[in-house]
Amino acid sequence: MSRPNFFEHLHPPTIPAREARFRYTFGLGGMSLLLFLSLIVTGVPLMFVYVPTAVSAADSIRTITYVAPYGWLLRNLHYWAAVLLLLTGSLHLLRIVFSGSYKKPRRFNWLLGLAILLLSLLLSFSGYVLRWDVDTYGALTVGTHIVRQFPVVGDWFYRLLVGGTEIGDATLVRFYTWHILGLVVPVLLLVGWHAFRVRRDGGISHRAANATAGKAPRIPRRELVQREGIAALAVLLVLFTLSLFWNAPLAPPVDPLAGPLAEPAQIAAPWFFLWIQALLRYWPPLLAGILIPLCVVGILALLPWVLDRQTEGTAVWFHPSGRWAQLVVGAIAAGIIILTIVEWRQ
Amino acid sequence: MSGYQKATAVLGMLLLFLVIGALARQERQPEVVQLTPTLTGQPELCLTCHEGIEEISPTHSIETFGCVLCHGGDGLALDKDLAHATMRGGRNPSDLVVVEESCGGSACHSGAAADGRDHIHRVLTSVQATYAGAIAQVNYAFGGQADTTAHFGVTAVEDDEITTYTGLPALAAFHPGPEAPDPVQTFNRDCMHCHLSAAATQEPYYYRATGCAACHVVYENDGLYRGGDPTTPKDEPGHGRTHQLTTAIPYYQCNHCHNRGNYSLRQMTFLEREDLPGSPYLSAQDQRELEYYQPISQFTLCEWELDCVDCHTNGEVMGNGDIHSNQQEIQYIQCRTCHGTLTEMPLLETITDPDHPAIYSADLNPNYSVAVGDTVIATTEGETFGWVQWDGERLVETGKVDGRLYEVPLVMGSSCQQNPDEQESAYCHECHTYERTVTQP
Repeated sequence: MSRPNFFEHLHPPTIPAREARFRYTFGLGGMSLLLFLSLIVTGVPLMFVYVPTAVSAADSIRTITYVAPYGWLLRNLHYWAAVLLLLTGSLHLLRIVFSGSYKKPRRFNWLLGLAILLLSLLLSFSGYVLRWDVDTYGALTVGTHIVRQFPVVGDWFYRLLVGGTEIGDATLVRFYTWHILGLVVPVLLLVGWHAFRVRRDGGISHRAANATAGKAPRIPRRELVQREGIAALAVLLVLFTLSLFWNAPLAPPVDPLAGPLAEPAQIAAPWFFLWIQALLRYWPPLLAGILIPLCVVGILALLPWVLDRQTEGTAVWFHPSGRWAQLVVGAIAAGIIILTIVEWRQ
Repeated sequence: MSGYQKATAVLGMLLLFLVIGALARQERQPEVVQLTPTLTGQPELCLTCHEGIEEISPTHSIETFGCVLCHGGDGLALDKDLAHATMRGGRNPSDLVVVEESCGGSACHSGAAADGRDHIHRVLTSVQATYAGAIAQVNYAFGGQADTTAHFGVTAVEDDEITTYTGLPALAAFHPGPEAPDPVQTFNRDCMHCHLSAAATQEPYYYRATGCAACHVVYENDGLYRGGDPTTPKDEPGHGRTHQLTTAIPYYQCNHCHNRGNYSLRQMTFLEREDLPGSPYLSAQDQRELEYYQPISQFTLCEWELDCVDCHTNGEVMGNGDIHSNQQEIQYIQCRTCHGTLTEMPLLETITDPDHPAIYSADLNPNYSVAVGDTVIATTEGETFGWVQWDGERLVETGKVDGRLYEVPLVMGSSCQQNPDEQESAYCHECHTYERTVTQP
């Protein structure tokens, strides 16, 4: 028998029927993968027009949006795919937590997934900055200012990120390179590894053999692929609908010499960082912009080691063994959602 | 078909519809019209939507200036809100709040007086912009200040180069506090509508812009746009006649502010004249006679046959760069400027310099021209009336607004019985008042 290829590796001849049901996984991992691929497919053509210089960035975005044939569609697809990716990625994380799928032996893959989500946030932020208009410029100013608050290494880190002491051409080209290369390549590798580890860790998280009476029913590869196909079509349907009827946002450009031409909108942070912007209203940047987000990441990263070390309850929704993990992550999610809504309405 | 196949087929069809929708939307994308003005070298797409709009003036040609240089805005955005979000002064870049950015610059309208480029400074210091005369008179009349010299303007203004003996160094912004006499506060609240920064009353006869465009962009009495910009509604009042600057400013443009009625200081309110609009069956000439002045005014034939700008010069209207307490301080054009006196011909000047301001001004007006060798009326303040020329035997006036020709009668050699010391128009009105023939219905 020949060695299975990567596709066959991810799609074994049969998988357990219960865990293959849509209502168990909601297909969130696969959807995220599809959206990630959509981002690459739509992002590469954008690179042919986008010019990463302070003078030309906003102009080239306008060329893409208004002049280049189907530029508007590519940009809208790219934008909405990124929005949806953060949503499906986050929901995937919640699914993993609430169905106890982070437990040993999947603890390492939990870390890989978390890293992918964090890098996706950075990708989204760097993409947001590339618009180079008053809103994104405001977010960039605030964001890099937060970085500066890092104890000891803050200034060094800031200069590394900004490419000097002032936001300008060097900053833009650095964010551009991070966006199209520096972050994409690691994410690609991590996504591959993450998917590979699913099989290595024993396939999609499923109930222990002793928890099922008799042999659990299984479905063949063909059926799994069909289900995935339908989920993929559904995602593309949502993506195209959003892209056709709702345009990706744009704001007035920034004067390359004089700075912003207009006041940034009240909301300067991208939507996925609104919760941090909300915290910044009340607390100093070091606490709100660095320590709290780091704490959230730390809690999530250590979750399978600290909050729930048991293996019992894998693949069972809201199993009591994971009560603490569910409560803490639920509280974090609720906090982020509430802060985001509050800040959105400001 | 299995359930999977059905679901796939349905989703596939829906997706196909969306793809067709995307094709349709691309088809509906506007055909981009790009312009790269020579002064900025930056492409602009404004004409994609505004194709057909009038060039603002021959001296600001669209190929040279484009749109963004004056208007600001996001010239590459084809989304209305985004494109217009950063425009200067909304639709009017000549509003005095933004005029320095849009019309200024030492190469344009905020240069040196010697180069004739101090337009913005002259306008900002002019009584039309400061409203200093009215403020000073009212503030004095009601005990807010001890003299009739102006101390306040609509906004604070300074002049560091005083050239006339009535010129003032500065005005403070007029913000009477609660300690000011009541009528002064009422005046401040209700009567500060007659200056270049005040928005026009949105009613027929009042429509106008602010800033430079208040005079130089002509508004019809009905405030309707009659130009070719497809985005400006033709049935929505409050737009200029066309998107054009002009020095051929008709009397009714001046009348959007002047001759609209009277301020009653007793009631501290504006009393609108009641004789407008006249009968719809009046001839254009009768309509003009009716509209031009208020019923109680005294005026001569030429004062309503000609347009205001045929006599009231640039220097009078836009000011001379000094801050004055009263418009009268810089009104110096009299009947004698063109008609002379019993003993004196009007002042004449023969143009010898090809860069003479008379030639420059004539180039800005479509209705008359001045060339080297022409002899034109000169004023005591050194201005010239290029549109009133001496041909060796006669003095001929060309209407700045309509190009009509008039022979200017001279007082010298006539049977006029004027006293040489009495040259103000009121004295001329004693004999030459024109009796209004159009009566009020």
